[in-house]
Order: sequence, then C-alpha cells, then structure tokens
Amino acid sequence: MQDFLEQLKAVVGESYLSTQADDLETYGQDWSKLYEAKPLAVIRPANTLEVAETVKLCAKNNVALVPSGGRTGLSGGAYATNGELVLSLERLNDISNFNPVDRTVECGAGVITEQLQNFATENGLYYPVDFASAGSSHIGGNIATNAGGIKVLKYGLTRDWVSGLTVVTASGETLELNNGLVKNATGYDLRHLFIGSEGTLGIITKAVMKLTNPPVEPTVMLLAVEDLASVSNLLNHFQSSIELMAFEFFSQQALEKVLAHRELKKPFDQESAFYVLIEFEAKSESSMDEAFAAFESAAENGWLVDGIISQSNQQAEELWQYREGISESISHYPPYKNDIAVKPSQVGEFLQQVDAFVTANYPEFENIWFGHIGDGNLHLNILKPAAMPLEEFKSACAEANPEIFTILKSFNGSISAEHGVGLLKRPYLEYSRSVEEIELMKSVKKVFDPKGIMNPGKLFE
Amino acid sequence: MKILVTVKRVIDYNVKVRVKDDNSGVETANVKMSMNPFCEIAVEEAVRLKEKGVATEIVVASIGPAQAQETLRTALALGADRAILVKTDENVEPLGVAKIFKEIVAKESPEMVIMGKQSIDGDNNQSGQMLAALLDWPQGTFASEVNVADGKVAVTREIDGGLETVGLTLPAVVTTDLRLNEPRFAKLPDIMKAKRKPFEEIAPADLGVNVEARTETLKVEAPAQRTAGIKVESVEQLVDKLKNEAKVI
Repeated sequence: MQDFLEQLKAVVGESYLSTQADDLETYGQDWSKLYEAKPLAVIRPANTLEVAETVKLCAKNNVALVPSGGRTGLSGGAYATNGELVLSLERLNDISNFNPVDRTVECGAGVITEQLQNFATENGLYYPVDFASAGSSHIGGNIATNAGGIKVLKYGLTRDWVSGLTVVTASGETLELNNGLVKNATGYDLRHLFIGSEGTLGIITKAVMKLTNPPVEPTVMLLAVEDLASVSNLLNHFQSSIELMAFEFFSQQALEKVLAHRELKKPFDQESAFYVLIEFEAKSESSMDEAFAAFESAAENGWLVDGIISQSNQQAEELWQYREGISESISHYPPYKNDIAVKPSQVGEFLQQVDAFVTANYPEFENIWFGHIGDGNLHLNILKPAAMPLEEFKSACAEANPEIFTILKSFNGSISAEHGVGLLKRPYLEYSRSVEEIELMKSVKKVFDPKGIMNPGKLFE
Repeated sequence: MKILVTVKRVIDYNVKVRVKDDNSGVETANVKMSMNPFCEIAVEEAVRLKEKGVATEIVVASIGPAQAQETLRTALALGADRAILVKTDENVEPLGVAKIFKEIVAKESPEMVIMGKQSIDGDNNQSGQMLAALLDWPQGTFASEVNVADGKVAVTREIDGGLETVGLTLPAVVTTDLRLNEPRFAKLPDIMKAKRKPFEEIAPADLGVNVEARTETLKVEAPAQRTAGIKVESVEQLVDKLKNEAKVI
C-alpha cells in the first residue's frame, strides 16, 4: 500500500496527497454528518490528466475511489467510510473558453457554483441553478447529483444546463461527451447517464455549462398562511395567474430557527403556521398588477392572512434569507432529512397525509417543514432531541421511513428529489424504482465500472 | 406634529454599478432602481413617530423623474399619508434639492423634516445641512436615536469616537444614519391602499426654483482594478515585503 501511495505522489506531487488525520476527516465526509469518515488518503490532482493517471493506479491496485466536490451533499454520497481514496476535484477550478454567441463556458469540476454565477453576472448573463449551499458546492458535484434548488420551477435542474462533459471512466480513459452541441442525435447520450450518477460510473472533470439572460426585476412576496390546504390552493392559484420563478414554503417552526440563528427581524408582527415565498419577474407594470390581483383574490378566498413584497433587491435577498437559512440553522441538531417529491398537483394532499402521520406517530420529535413545492419537492426535517443519542435517533427515523415512503409510493413519488441516494437513501431505493429498473442500473454500472471501484456502496450495494 | 420626509430614487444598493462606455456617467438603462436606503430609514422613523402618537401627519416628497412615483408609493405603503413629486429629469444638485425642499416646507409648514444623511448615488451628504441653513432651522445630522418631547427633539449622533446628543428646538431638520432603525417590509394590502392616497405632482418651476446644474461632470471612471494578491512562502519573505515593498514597517 505504501508503494501505491508513493506512485500517487509521483502523479500529483508530494503536497497534494495527504494521509493526515484532519484532512481525512474533512475530505472524507459531507454535510449529512451521519457516518464516520475513514478514507485511506486524500488526493488532489490538478487536471484531467492527473485524474486519469490516479484512476489508472486505483484500477491496477484495486483501490476504491470517492470523488469529492464541495461535500455539501446531504445523503452521504461523498462519504469515504471504508478505506477509499478520496479524489478531491477542488484544484480543477478554472473557468475558461467563454463563448458569448453559444452562451456557454467551460468549468472545471471544482468551480464553486457561486463562482460560475458571478462569472455569468459579470458578463451580463445568468446561471440560474441556485441553492443555499451555492457558496460551497462544486459544479462537478452539482452535475453528479443533478442538483435542483430554488429556481427549478422556471429554469429546471442542473441537467438542463450541461451541454458537454469531460469524464474519466473507471479504467482511466477520458471521454468527451457532447462537446457543447445543442443538437446531437447520434445515439445514446452518455452525458445524461453521468448526470446524477453520484460518482458511481466515472469522474466528471470538466463541463460545458450553458448560461442565459438574467431575470428582469426579480420580485419576492412572502405570504402568511394558516393551513396546509391553503398552501396548495395558493400554489394552484399563483401558477395559473403569474409566471413564477420560485414557489417555496416553510413552517413557523422553520422560521423561528432562522430568526434565532441569523438574528433577523420578524417578517410579520403576527405568527402564522406556514409561509409561502413567491418570486416572479416584475417585467412591467402589468405583470406587477397581475401579481397584486392574484394576491387580492387569494386574500378574498381566505387562503392567506397577510403578505409583504420586496421593494428593492436588498429586500428580495432579505426575504430569501428566511427560506435559505433554514438548512444551516438546524444543521447542528443534526436533523434527519427527508427530501421527497411528488407531482406538483399532488403536493397538498401528500403534505397533509405525511404531516398527519408524523404528528400522530412521532409527537416527541420536532418537525421542520420546508420545500420547493412549486416543483413538488418537500423537505421534512426531523430534529434530534438534545437528550437522545445519535444512534437511537437514527434508528427511530429509520423506523418512520418505510411508513412515510409507503405513503410516497402510493403517489408514485421520489424518495430523493434532489439530494441523491448516497448511503442514506440506499435502503429505500425500491420505493421509487422498480426491481427491474434497479437491475438495469446495476448492469450499466458494471459496463462502466467492472471492478466496482467508483464510489462503491453508493446508490446500491 | 406634521413631518416632512424626503426620499430619493437611486440605483439599487445591490446592483453592481457600471460606468457607461463613453465615461459620461453610470449605466442606468435596465438597472434596478429603489429607494435610497437612508431614505427608507427616514420613512421608518417618521412612521414610528406617528405610531407613538408624536406625529399626526407624514408628507413624503421626492425630486426626480416620473418613475420616482414608485418610490413615493412605497413610502405611502409604509405609512406616509400624502406624497409630493417634484418632477424633473435634471440631475438636481444638493443646493437645488435644498432650495426645492425649502419651498415645500414653506407650503406645508411641517415641524420636522427627516432626510437620509446622504443618497448612495451622489454620496454628497449636503442636502440636509443646506436645507437647515436655508430655513435657519437647527439640524441634527447622522441620527442614531431620535426622541421628541415638549417642542424639542433630542438627536443622538454618531461622531468619531462616540455618540453626541444634541437638543434641538422644533422646527428642525434631522438626517438619519444607518443604525437609527431597521425599516419594515411593505405589506401587500398597504401597497394597494397606497394607490388611493393623495398624490401631488409639481415642477421645480412651479416653486420658482432653478435647478440648472452649477457643476459640470467631466468624466466618470471605474476604480482601478486591484491586482491579485500572492501567498508568501515564509515569515522572512513576509517581513521583507512589508519592509521593502509595502514600506509599512
């Protein structure tokens, strides 16, 4: 093994291979914080060539690899728990070859999401995939998990913004997939196989990302709502009256955590059970009038009790903080995260069924509801009571899971909307994918990774 | 007590300002415009004084193009009672601003004028002081606390090295600093009600004020780009650079 590590050092240079305890812990885990990090070593190659050489050495020595981005994942997908070599892509952080005609730009896998967003803004364009961890997450990780976030309603998922990929396969070969083409009807689009593959097929080292026009006068409304039924009424109502960029909701409990954590002012004098955050483009006076009209008729129907609206970009950001600060404000408990999705039209009914189940069966737990419900995505966070040991809490949540997922299955929903499967959701994959589908996925993995060295144990055994 | 609050429509605080290609000014086309943050604080303070029962009426005034109407509507939604727009497409300089508001004061006879200490576009920090001088009223600038009692207003000011409290006999001009209060959000129902509040539009000429510029802008340039920093390898190198390059030790 010592020999193997020396060979790796020869590839990347002495200072980019580490076996120091703090590096192993930092690079061996993600934000789920539910497992113990036990990697063999951490390697940080500088470019695709060094990644390929590293993978070849791993293949030769039968050492498993865990690709590592910003490690902001919440399903344990970036955890190295079993003596794997962690391959961090953080040094592949070049943004290059910006093409204003194609509106594309090449990003190393280690480019931070916010860097790409800022790059786009500086060039008068916009990268629309956005979420709370955008300041830490990497483009490579976003692609490997097909990250979604808060603007999916209008702009779609990461998948929709990738027009080319460079990947290193398990044998160390480098593939250039799609090369930034818009149209390319030449058989299987392998690019899409890698998007959302959670590092189980190969290592994404570079991507051609698409950019678009920035939104015009993005405006945020925050609505105070008394019950879940009204939340789904509001969703239907606003979706049919204005073009939404985002439709988010969160509970009073979630708001309280953020207010305390970030020391923010209360948005309303009076508390309500739930809040809905809507973002839309106030392109003209008439789109503003439509939004006001929609608000007025919603108020007449009794679906909301109060509402505020941003008067500046600063205020729009302040209002978003109430929603975006939630994950961060509860991460120390730690929470047991459910990231589930149903069809947008069924959100209301599903939400009420799950809420009733959790309140009836787990009254001792604090539940924090929030989510991007405009696209059917709900985050149910169950907080660990301070006095309960972590293992006991995990097993209690594991017991609740089959029940929640059974309800989910009856809606043909997804057990993981945007967090991926990783280690955390692996036991429940069958609630969302058929046995036949899972077998086919395993066969695909065998084709790309016959030795099983690419992020083993993630997605399925 | 009647309060006059002044507000200005400026490029949104969160927008990265760009210089026009011809260096004649900054780009404002398709740029988000909002209420000057210090003016938001001024409106909030007036509304709080009204909620406390100190103020009975809040008149909000602005100088600017037709779109400044939106800024005034925001102030009305936040709690102002009436709005006056002095409509002009000119870039009015601080002295012009002070002269216009002097005429508005003559027309409205408020007992207090609350203004932002400066607007974030020009960053002049002059209009409030000039207005007080023209009116021959006392002024409390950079207010971080405002207390009204018995025909007087105590204004706590942020000054270098501490706080200073001045007692002003009303009528007076107060300009707001950042820590005076935290402005509230505008409520949707209030925005709709604001559409029905009295709104008056006049021209600078109606007030007999000439707003012609007295200064000429020769050129507007972006600040020089900062060069990237470097990582030093050792303490010796750091000390050497501080001594010989930066010449600070």
